[in-house]
Amino acid sequence: MVQRSLVQKPLPDSTPKKFLTTNLNRRFVLVFTTLTLLIVASIAMYIYSRTFANAFRLGVPMTPTAFNSILGRTIPHLVAMVSSAILLAVVSLSFQTITQSRVLTPSMIGFDSVFVGTQTALVFFLGAQHAFFADPIVNYFLTSGIMVAISVFMFGAILRSSRNNIVFLLMFGLVLSGIVNSGASYLQIIMNESDFFQVAAATSVNINNIAVNIVWVALPILVIVVFAITWRHRRFNVMSLGPEQAKSLGVHYERELKLNLFLIALGMSAATALIGPLTFLGLLAVNAAREILKTHKHLPLFVGSAMMAVLALVLGQGVMELLQGAIPVTAIINLVGGSYIFYLILKENRI
Amino acid sequence: MIEVKNVTQSYGRFADRDILKDVSLTVREKSITALVGANGAGKSTLLGVMTNLVPARQGVVTLDGVDIRKIKTAEVSKKVAFLKQTQQLSVKITVKDLVEYGRFPHCGGRLRTADKLKVEEALSYMNLADIKNSYLDEISGGQRQRAFIAMILAQDTPYIFLDEPLNNLDIRYSVEMMKVVYRLVSELGKTVVVVLHDINFAAAYANHIVAMKDGEIVKEGSPDEIITTEVLNPVFDHDFHITCCEGKSVCLYYDKASKRCAI
Repeated sequence: MVQRSLVQKPLPDSTPKKFLTTNLNRRFVLVFTTLTLLIVASIAMYIYSRTFANAFRLGVPMTPTAFNSILGRTIPHLVAMVSSAILLAVVSLSFQTITQSRVLTPSMIGFDSVFVGTQTALVFFLGAQHAFFADPIVNYFLTSGIMVAISVFMFGAILRSSRNNIVFLLMFGLVLSGIVNSGASYLQIIMNESDFFQVAAATSVNINNIAVNIVWVALPILVIVVFAITWRHRRFNVMSLGPEQAKSLGVHYERELKLNLFLIALGMSAATALIGPLTFLGLLAVNAAREILKTHKHLPLFVGSAMMAVLALVLGQGVMELLQGAIPVTAIINLVGGSYIFYLILKENRI
Repeated sequence: MIEVKNVTQSYGRFADRDILKDVSLTVREKSITALVGANGAGKSTLLGVMTNLVPARQGVVTLDGVDIRKIKTAEVSKKVAFLKQTQQLSVKITVKDLVEYGRFPHCGGRLRTADKLKVEEALSYMNLADIKNSYLDEISGGQRQRAFIAMILAQDTPYIFLDEPLNNLDIRYSVEMMKVVYRLVSELGKTVVVVLHDINFAAAYANHIVAMKDGEIVKEGSPDEIITTEVLNPVFDHDFHITCCEGKSVCLYYDKASKRCAI
């Protein structure tokens, strides 16, 4: 297949291109530096609020021994928050690209209800003493296995039968969480009292009650998912052109779709088990990164939204600890995120 | 060389109606082939099967003698480019970025000097060099369509498939678009297959016309062979009036009752 060259002589490279790239790069450097500094500051504030601020309030001196001991308990919390925030951001951006929407996050499909439902069913049918429930590690793997299975089945079935029908996906998630929630409440009502308290304790995982006992199990999974997704950033760029165009440009679209949905489900289950549901964090972080970075390229967006999510979570949690829980950080994130999604829906006039 | 052999295609598990029925077609090299026919005739499906976007269920499509389903997607995309009708993208993207994505099959997104050269060539060939840093939603429909063609040029494939490229384009941009397609064949030696709704555009620009109805190829041939009432009336279930203008056949497809439309 011999082809002639399009034009014999390429145009001399024009200056506007160089100007624009340096301009964009300067913006990236500025944004990333600022975010890094802010994140470091908020981590410092978080640690300060858990150590010195507490000691001052209680009127006791902060000895190095006490500091180290508190730090030892704080670090798993920090690791859980930072890794989950990064994951939520990365997963949200990937979900938005494959669903061609700026308004969706995988949290909206109802992972928390599946989590609660699984725990309740385990206790009801096997008892609170069974290793599946009592052993945190076994319980974690079982729960996330079920969440991955359900969501892969759900995403797969929906995306296969009605190509990218987002409304259908949302409706399905809504109905599923409704059914699972009421089923779980029913089981919780008829189970005996001690079992109920066990379930309540296990399912009250949230940002103030991080499941630190599974941090070191969930962390590798979070790291693997984040790297597996961000590593494909060039493919995501092409996939943002839409399924047909991506296929025509040589992306094995169905395979990418399945793989990404699996990675999203795996990561979401780990994050939900670790720090509980944070519906709007990913959405907020991704869209903030889009606005600030003014790019559609996925690599800077992945990094930017991960940093935004970490900042929002750690800063919010630091402030909350400093104010002794006067303002719960999830409430703020959900309030701001909820308002923002209203704004996005109204502005884009579509979901 | 792309050959379609006895392809039968249906959608869904229980579809009782075949979208394509035993279709066989050999794509003419270095010329424009236009697929025409009524809505639901299977033109877009045939295009999808030929580009392997929708793998053939029965029958086979061969690319240079090899079953296209057995070739890796990444390899197919170095030979075959496909462009859907004018599309609204969900992302805000510049012309240059779009054209750079055309190099994805060759470099996996890591642009080397040779790739950048191809991008520049495609941009200047499509007269987009001046607006390459503009965003796609800020330029005119014609320019946007040219940007997508530039992407396909950067993809540098011998085969180009266009699905209704004239949709949503006004007359001026439609003509401009077809001129571009004509140049792709005459200057660059590409092989183009295009789905067209307006048979007059097909008559004016295509070298070869394939008329389809209900999933079957009714007749294929040169414009003079196809643009006849005997072929077109049953294909479109409509009464055509065909006249000759500047040596080319022109279809008048307005209602014959309103005499003012007839010449």
